[in-house]
Amino acid sequence: MERMVLPGEEVWKREVQASGTYVRGGITYASVPGMMRDEKFIPLEMAYRPKVGDNVVGVVVDERHAGYMVDLNLPYNGVIPTRKVRIHLELGGMVYGKITFVDEVGNVDIGEVDKLPAGKLLSVPASKVPRIIGKKSSMLNQIREMSGCPVFVGNNGYVWIGPRGNMHLVAKTLRLIIERAHTSGLTDQVAKYLDENR
Amino acid sequence: METPELFKDGKRLDGRALDELRPIRIIAGVLKEAEGSAFVEWGGNKVICGIYGPRECIPKHGASPYTALLKCRYTMSPFASLEEHGRTGPNRRSTEISKVIREAFGGVVMSGEFPKTQIDIYVDVLQAEGGTRIAAIAAATVALANAGIPMKDMISGVAVGKAGGQLVVDLGKAEDNYGESDMPIAFTHRDKEIVFLQMDGKLTPEELGNCIDSAMEASEKVYALQSEALRKSYEAEGGQELDI
Amino acid sequence: MGDEAKELVLKEVDRELLTNLLAQGKRMDERGLNDYRQVKVTKGVLSTAEGSALAQIGDSKVLCGVKYGEMTPFPDRPTEGVFMVMAEFLPLASPTFEPGPPSPYSIELARVVDRGIRSAEVIDTASMFIEEGKVLAIFIDLYVMDHGGNLTDTAALAAAAALSDTKVPKVVDGKIVRGDYVGPLKMPDKPVTSTFIKVGDKILLDPLRSEEHAADCQLTVGTIDGRVVCMQKSGAGSMKKSEVMECVDVALAKGKELRSYI
Repeated sequence: MERMVLPGEEVWKREVQASGTYVRGGITYASVPGMMRDEKFIPLEMAYRPKVGDNVVGVVVDERHAGYMVDLNLPYNGVIPTRKVRIHLELGGMVYGKITFVDEVGNVDIGEVDKLPAGKLLSVPASKVPRIIGKKSSMLNQIREMSGCPVFVGNNGYVWIGPRGNMHLVAKTLRLIIERAHTSGLTDQVAKYLDENR
Repeated sequence: METPELFKDGKRLDGRALDELRPIRIIAGVLKEAEGSAFVEWGGNKVICGIYGPRECIPKHGASPYTALLKCRYTMSPFASLEEHGRTGPNRRSTEISKVIREAFGGVVMSGEFPKTQIDIYVDVLQAEGGTRIAAIAAATVALANAGIPMKDMISGVAVGKAGGQLVVDLGKAEDNYGESDMPIAFTHRDKEIVFLQMDGKLTPEELGNCIDSAMEASEKVYALQSEALRKSYEAEGGQELDI
Repeated sequence: MGDEAKELVLKEVDRELLTNLLAQGKRMDERGLNDYRQVKVTKGVLSTAEGSALAQIGDSKVLCGVKYGEMTPFPDRPTEGVFMVMAEFLPLASPTFEPGPPSPYSIELARVVDRGIRSAEVIDTASMFIEEGKVLAIFIDLYVMDHGGNLTDTAALAAAAALSDTKVPKVVDGKIVRGDYVGPLKMPDKPVTSTFIKVGDKILLDPLRSEEHAADCQLTVGTIDGRVVCMQKSGAGSMKKSEVMECVDVALAKGKELRSYI
């Protein structure tokens, strides 16, 4: 059973902490449009809020005493603290890392940083990232295999596509996933699409 | 000034019943660059709304450590009215409307989740026929949802009032100009809390209470259309056409 | 940042204090929930204006000057006079008021007062026709001089009082003769406003500045005898229909009281 839920509509008759929802008077309501599928709430749109443990793709935009400033598609740049990186980063360089710290006003520290070679950077709605990755990365691996491209997806909505394989196919597939993110059987739909368009 | 007849053979000038809304058409997600957007055609009103943010607060020193600043800019295009060419950009009227629209959403947008940022609601009236602020609110609600800005509830409203001695719902231009009273009002969907209310003209407390009741009823119909627009936006492949 | 950050912090402090007080049924001062502070109206305080008044509600002070002018009528109403209300939040009235273009707050205040006067139909614009292409204009200027909260009611009171003090200038050969009058401006009604704030589930009339800090939202109800002539909800937050209707009842009763000061 599937149904669409709009902001303010009831999601569960009990108190549940889930993203895209809020609780009032013991009842959980949606705060963004979402889809109810098998009693699970899948947000269809959601402004991204960084969390510790999120994987992110970013672009180095400044070098300061405190560290490298990284554009993460967020209102404010993230920081790779100098004391935490041993690698040297270039301005304009792309990185993949993990959020290690978020303060109460949304300032973000990034650790476990890997340098990414020059590639294509795409911005996708952060709410669609879970679908792009899929269960246990099933969707993402499928895209990687069929396109022959190295692809990294950040929870922040930045996607890095490496300069190998069919980059165009990756971009087109991502667009398909974004448009059909709310439909079921998406992995099969994408498999078919990749197969037909490779 | 001569007041034209507002009723003909017991019906309103455009043939509507007293409690009947003008035709309303809402499309969600019509703009690509904006985080969220909506187009609303409401009778002769055409309104477009785009949402940006949460994004960096400008100026920076205006940022709040507690919450995102919600900003609203409502403007009227210079070609929006049948009369002469208007001036582009904000004026006293639009400044006031921007303020009260922003405040209507202030209570439902969960701005506390995005401290130090701002969320912009841009509404532009492309064509006006009376009731633009209510059409703007309808568009902004859909656009905010379309942008994934968390909200406690959706907002829907309508202008009600008294024209030609009768209580009417969704005042048209002539009813707005020559009627006795105009009351744009908007409610949250679930709790029917009043988040937007203005009124001018003369009303007794009884008339006022009746106006609020019929507005509440009519805004349910507006909500149904807003919700339908959001649902539809997920069915359309390749995004929604901006069909003005 | 300075003042704005301070305002934000003060707001939190005031909110906590007022919520605690309200739980004990008290306000920041000793008043009941539906009481006005001391109201004082002084008419005819300026000799240069055709009408004037200083209104004070508690510490709030608003001066209103009414001036006549000549103007080209609006094309859609060629035989009708024109009036307009403007508000000036003087920087001396509050540390938070800065010189510069009018803020949304001052524009809103002026427009709410304007709507009250317009809806009450107290100014007979048809009598302000001079000759083709020329009508009389009435400029109603509100000078906010001290911000102790509830500027709207203070300003509306000042405007109604100043209008009731106004003398209509003599017009000779299509021109106003300054200092010469044909008589007082006829004013069938005196529109005033009553402003309420909502804090939690409590509703308070005539908020202090510190109470405004703590408000969820605000409702202004303009009245003449037995009729509502304008309403404006402002501030984030919401009200129920029952709360609005309660405000309307109180406003109709309190309007009588306010008019007695004019």
